[in-house]
Amino acid sequence: MKLRRLLVIVLTLSLSACASVGVKPWERDLLAKDEMSLNADPLDLALDDHIYFSKEAASGGRAFAGGGCGCN
Amino acid sequence: MQLNQRNNIIGALTAATCSLLGTPAIAQESPSTAEPWQFDTAILYYGESERVTAVEGVFSASKDFGNEHIFSGKITIDGLTGASATGAVAQPSAQTFTRPSGKGEYQIAAGETPLDDTFRDTRIQLNGQWTQPLWQDYRVSSGVHLSKEYDYLSMAVNANLARDFNQRNTTVSAGLSYAFDSIDPEGGRPVAFASMPLRSDYATDQAFDDAFDATRLSGSDDKNTLDLMLGLTQVINRRTIMQLNYGLSVVDGYMTDPFKMLSVVNPQGLTQDLLYENRPDSRTRHNVFWQTKYALDSGVADLSYRFTTDDWDIDSHTLDSRLRFNLTQDSYIQPHFRYYQQSAADFYRPYLMAAEGLPQFASADYRVGEMTAFTLGLKYGMLLDDGKELSFRIEYYQQNPKNPGFAEPGVLQDLDLYPSVKAVMAQVSYRF
Amino acid sequence: MSQTPDLPEIELSWQGDHYCGRFSAMASPCELLIDSNDRKLAEHLTTLAFYEAKRIEHKYSRYLTGNTCHRINHSAGKGAALDEETYKLLCFADSCFSLSDGLFDITSGVLRRAWKFDGSDRLPAPQQVKSLLPLIGWQKIEFDANRILMPEGFELDFGGIGKEYAVDAVAKKCAELVPHCSMLVNFGGDIQVTRARRNKQCWHIGIENPDSDGRANRLLRIAHGGLATSGDARRFLYKDGVRYSHILNPKTGYPVSHAPRSVTVASEHCVQAGILATLALLQGKNAESFLTQQGVTHWIYR
Repeated sequence: MKLRRLLVIVLTLSLSACASVGVKPWERDLLAKDEMSLNADPLDLALDDHIYFSKEAASGGRAFAGGGCGCN
Repeated sequence: MQLNQRNNIIGALTAATCSLLGTPAIAQESPSTAEPWQFDTAILYYGESERVTAVEGVFSASKDFGNEHIFSGKITIDGLTGASATGAVAQPSAQTFTRPSGKGEYQIAAGETPLDDTFRDTRIQLNGQWTQPLWQDYRVSSGVHLSKEYDYLSMAVNANLARDFNQRNTTVSAGLSYAFDSIDPEGGRPVAFASMPLRSDYATDQAFDDAFDATRLSGSDDKNTLDLMLGLTQVINRRTIMQLNYGLSVVDGYMTDPFKMLSVVNPQGLTQDLLYENRPDSRTRHNVFWQTKYALDSGVADLSYRFTTDDWDIDSHTLDSRLRFNLTQDSYIQPHFRYYQQSAADFYRPYLMAAEGLPQFASADYRVGEMTAFTLGLKYGMLLDDGKELSFRIEYYQQNPKNPGFAEPGVLQDLDLYPSVKAVMAQVSYRF
Repeated sequence: MSQTPDLPEIELSWQGDHYCGRFSAMASPCELLIDSNDRKLAEHLTTLAFYEAKRIEHKYSRYLTGNTCHRINHSAGKGAALDEETYKLLCFADSCFSLSDGLFDITSGVLRRAWKFDGSDRLPAPQQVKSLLPLIGWQKIEFDANRILMPEGFELDFGGIGKEYAVDAVAKKCAELVPHCSMLVNFGGDIQVTRARRNKQCWHIGIENPDSDGRANRLLRIAHGGLATSGDARRFLYKDGVRYSHILNPKTGYPVSHAPRSVTVASEHCVQAGILATLALLQGKNAESFLTQQGVTHWIYR
């Protein structure tokens, strides 16, 4: 419960802070590069996720954790 | 203008343009926002010292059909062979185990961590995802996932809705995923806490087979996973973008590992019995994931942190950092460091004591025990012509399981109950 | 040749994986994106672009005296000599005139004397518009490779194609110098890419492009070819509930009804995209079907 309240506060703070942060469309040159995408190198991330999914107790976070395998 | 004239406009205009600019009048397709198919392929070798070896190949294709209508599909095939820790503890003398299929036995030498070397599996996984804008500022995405191996089937569907605010500087998203997993291991699923029968305890093959069958449940069992994810992505400035996700995952069903067992030891630490493990059939987990990417003058810094907590009492912290340095315009290196830490599940027991009664749930699988792990890696990428990219990645991964505070009776004090697992990963990727 | 400025007023900056050269010409912010990390080369190319843009601006601007445009416009009845470049531009304008059945007419600039699109409700008197119509009509102009002869009172206005032409001319000059390097020329939203970038990347640029909500910014990804926008959402007249666009029909002297506020077209060359966008505006309510029929990628804001 505490976690969720924290999250709500963080979300609210971020949203209200939005107005003052951010860039104009013509300032997106750096952010628009492939390597600046939050999902850059998706294959690396997917392969890593699969390994850690089968070797550790935690999974997901970046993307959905659901849909597994019987990997050992 | 007449209709038939209209059709000639583009051709006549092209000719006029070419003579104006003095360029050769080649009939060229007008550029459209639709982009060509992009293919990503990778092959990964994963090898643990003395344990599992896996080779995984991925082929993915994506295409922007124009105006951000994007399809992506992926095929993953992996093959796995080798040995996996069974959960039983090492002993000062050699140990004998019955194979999970009930057919045959294997020996583990004195002082060695028991590993079951029968793992041999091939898995195929298919993913498809469609993303497109929906009225103004909204984006929807929906996908399917299918993973099939000899004794395991997983199917999942997902849907996600995102909305951009503030000139696309802020994106809020909500997603839902439902997965159905079905397991049907060879030889059946073990009865919870059933004692592993050994051939030497029975007079005839028939008597042993009957005893083994009595420890097994026939048919398959399944598990349902429902995931909810809320995300916030924020552009901070020209160089920085940040993401914060909250995920809730509710799992219901069979989560026991049919290949894992627990040793039952006496006060001297000697194994008296081997019991198949039993895990709870529900799990609720919360995830918080935060990521920041920062554009350097020639490179990218990527830092992420994830916290998870669940009602099995497993809390985990993951720190992941990738730093990309562009060596030249066409090549880069990217060191990778990851640190992971988890606490033990409340039902984790490295072994059971013969004198104590059976708990409701127990597993000796080190993967639900306390551990730290780290990964060190390096990637080298070359950008080739026409958007092709070739990259090589090598990583070292080490897991250090820990004793979460169990007293070690007798001989167990002298044995390594929490051996480290060391693995090397090597990957080659090609994008074209 | 007309006068060229002594010193190029350019600004160069490194953008992580390419150089961006900026300067101001043709009343627009101009930029040249260069897919190279060679600063000297980038500086050289931007300087080249600057001089080429200024050369065309000075040659065809109707606000300057003594230049080619001025000379032709004051040669009424007498005739004026033509150089090769101007001849080619006139041939292009001639093609556009016939392709549009007379809707695209570079002699129609005189209508500006009657129409002032300042957002007000001041429509010109019908008499005033009518008096200008005899001064419009490309078909009345005679020209060949060497000379042009215009009737008394006629004026040419290169405004409808000048900027797009300059974009293409600059792109061509730069490409001749470094044919293997991808460059993007952007003069206030009229764009030409010389060739595809290495690594299949797109060029990313923010362009001002008013949409229906009046919001003006959009991130654009362009891999190759040209792009141009015609129309200006801020130039209109508004009277008795009717919005008068600044797109004038040279045959009637009145604004085209139901014209989109702006049209953006992607095509192989910027100048071609510009003409298609302008022709679409002139189609009024049929702008969409016109562009769909031409099979070009386009964006229309109404």
